[in-house]
Amino acid sequence: MNPITTKVRAGSELHCEVVDWLDTEAELLDDGHEARWLEEMVSREVIYQMPLRQTVERARGAGFEEHAFHLDETYGSLASRVARNQTLYAWAEDPPSRIRHFITGVRVSEAEDGLVAVRSNLLVMRTRQEMTQPQTFAGERRDVLRREDGVLRLYRRTILLDLTVIGTHNLAIFF
Amino acid sequence: MTTTEHRPGEQPVGLSADHLLRQLDEGLPAGEIPAALFGNEDVYRHELRSVFGRCWVFLAHESEIEARGDYVLRKIGEDNFVVVRDEEGGINVLFDACRHRGVQVCRADSGNTSHFRCPYHGWTYNTKGDLVGAPLWRNAFGGMSKEGNGLVPAAKVASYHGLVFATLDPSAPPLAEYLGGMTWYLDLVFGLNAEGVEVLGPPQRFVIDANWKSGADNFSGDDYHLGTLHRSVWEIGAFPVPFRENMLGYHIQASPGHSLSFSMAPTEDEPGPKFFGYPEELTKTFDTSRISAHQLDVARRSRVFVGNVFPNFSILALPMTEDGANHPPTGILTIRTWQPKGPGQVEVWNWFCAYKNMTPEQKDRAYKAGLGTFSMGGSFEMDDTEPWITVSRTGRSVAAEVLDFKLNYQMGMPGIGIAKRVEEWPGPGIVYWTRYEEGVQRNLFSFYSRMMQAAPGQWPDFTFDDE
Repeated sequence: MNPITTKVRAGSELHCEVVDWLDTEAELLDDGHEARWLEEMVSREVIYQMPLRQTVERARGAGFEEHAFHLDETYGSLASRVARNQTLYAWAEDPPSRIRHFITGVRVSEAEDGLVAVRSNLLVMRTRQEMTQPQTFAGERRDVLRREDGVLRLYRRTILLDLTVIGTHNLAIFF
Repeated sequence: MTTTEHRPGEQPVGLSADHLLRQLDEGLPAGEIPAALFGNEDVYRHELRSVFGRCWVFLAHESEIEARGDYVLRKIGEDNFVVVRDEEGGINVLFDACRHRGVQVCRADSGNTSHFRCPYHGWTYNTKGDLVGAPLWRNAFGGMSKEGNGLVPAAKVASYHGLVFATLDPSAPPLAEYLGGMTWYLDLVFGLNAEGVEVLGPPQRFVIDANWKSGADNFSGDDYHLGTLHRSVWEIGAFPVPFRENMLGYHIQASPGHSLSFSMAPTEDEPGPKFFGYPEELTKTFDTSRISAHQLDVARRSRVFVGNVFPNFSILALPMTEDGANHPPTGILTIRTWQPKGPGQVEVWNWFCAYKNMTPEQKDRAYKAGLGTFSMGGSFEMDDTEPWITVSRTGRSVAAEVLDFKLNYQMGMPGIGIAKRVEEWPGPGIVYWTRYEEGVQRNLFSFYSRMMQAAPGQWPDFTFDDE
């Protein structure tokens, strides 16, 4: 992302387009249309990462690792995950989890090279089978959207969870 | 109405650990294990003391704490220990509790430091754990000896191929004796060349509502589950050896408690993956500098190595890819611990390793392939945790207790299936050909039972009678 970026005011045309984009994405993921999400909203050159986090002393920062991850995906590996979920043996998500993405605090910046940087707060709630207490994932997404053939697509996504120890049996869902 | 009396430590309801261990001893020769072992609270309390409070447990890899002052915070059972390299280069394993009031002195997961200072009153320790001071020392403690007031170390600490283990029991045998025949097999994974292995980053940690023994049981050599639970991975091309083909190989009870399994073709010149699928440029560097020609040959023929060091340290090496359409499978090496967190909870710590002499590109490929398959977001492992959750639910159920529910561990017993004992084998242990076999898991539970019932200071045998 070009470092020279301009903050885009909430309510402006681009900001509205981005919020709309995020809501559409959340709808596809929550409705289980991950194949459509991948096909229609994700760039073929995407890098999609959830860095590993440790508790560290304040002087060392937030504790996110640069080179270690919970998820480190390309379009090919995301496609592989989507294909896996469509086999008859994807026990982890069959029966599927009920998931809900809550996206708030959307902040948009536009770079000189036309890329759009988006920071948002993320809350994903997940229940399976007879669970009554959802697994929750709170954190932040740092996305870069790129206009490809006039359509915004997910070009970079970094998911920064508030957790160091992940309290769920797998990460078979999409963030 | 009469009052029921309970001895101290005995559960007011439910089966006692003693009862279940007797059932285990009676059932094991017939391949039966009481399901309640996977959820019973009394069993769990005994495990923390008799297994985790005594056995050698894995804590860290030396490459995580290479510089003086480097530390990581780790667990023995449910308790925190600082693993720290001191100013002289030695590795210390220190109970994370201030000697003054028992307060946590290490509050980060990793870092580099010259000292640990208790946040309560300021008692301060060096990286050997020695007490070096406290505020206004002369007024407060003048005349009191610092010696003897340091952080409490684990009873014994030792490394094997850079794998750091510790035990809380001073009566524990030396690590090599405890590992027994398993050393031969650890050598042929971690000692394949002179450089050895390193970890690629800090461990992933995730918590599953399952019992820690499900992980140990699975990695002792449960190859049969691949055909059903992991069937999806063949459909997406993540693993190159077909299920039926992959069931060929050896099941090995390396020594009491420690088991492993090799996927291996019956003939030496089969075209499939060699050396767990590592690239040829790397495998050219595998040699006999640290292992025997026999060990090198076994490693060369291995498509998959999976094993568990009792109680909760597992190792897996095999060819994997996270994206079969774009990258062929390549060798990955993961090591992990199944940290107990209650009878129905386990915290998985998962590290990826690489041979130190791999190129940055090879390490990156191996890391991505490992992360995309054997991690909480990986195509293999995301399915594993599903059944383990319900093993533990069955284990803590009233139904399992009152219906006397036993789990079936009979695969490969005499007259059952095709597995046969192998006499011609270059390494130690009790060896079976073809992996349709659950003796590897019975070995885990047999040693487990003996540890659970061993008197303080007493240890079970570390060699088999009939080897």
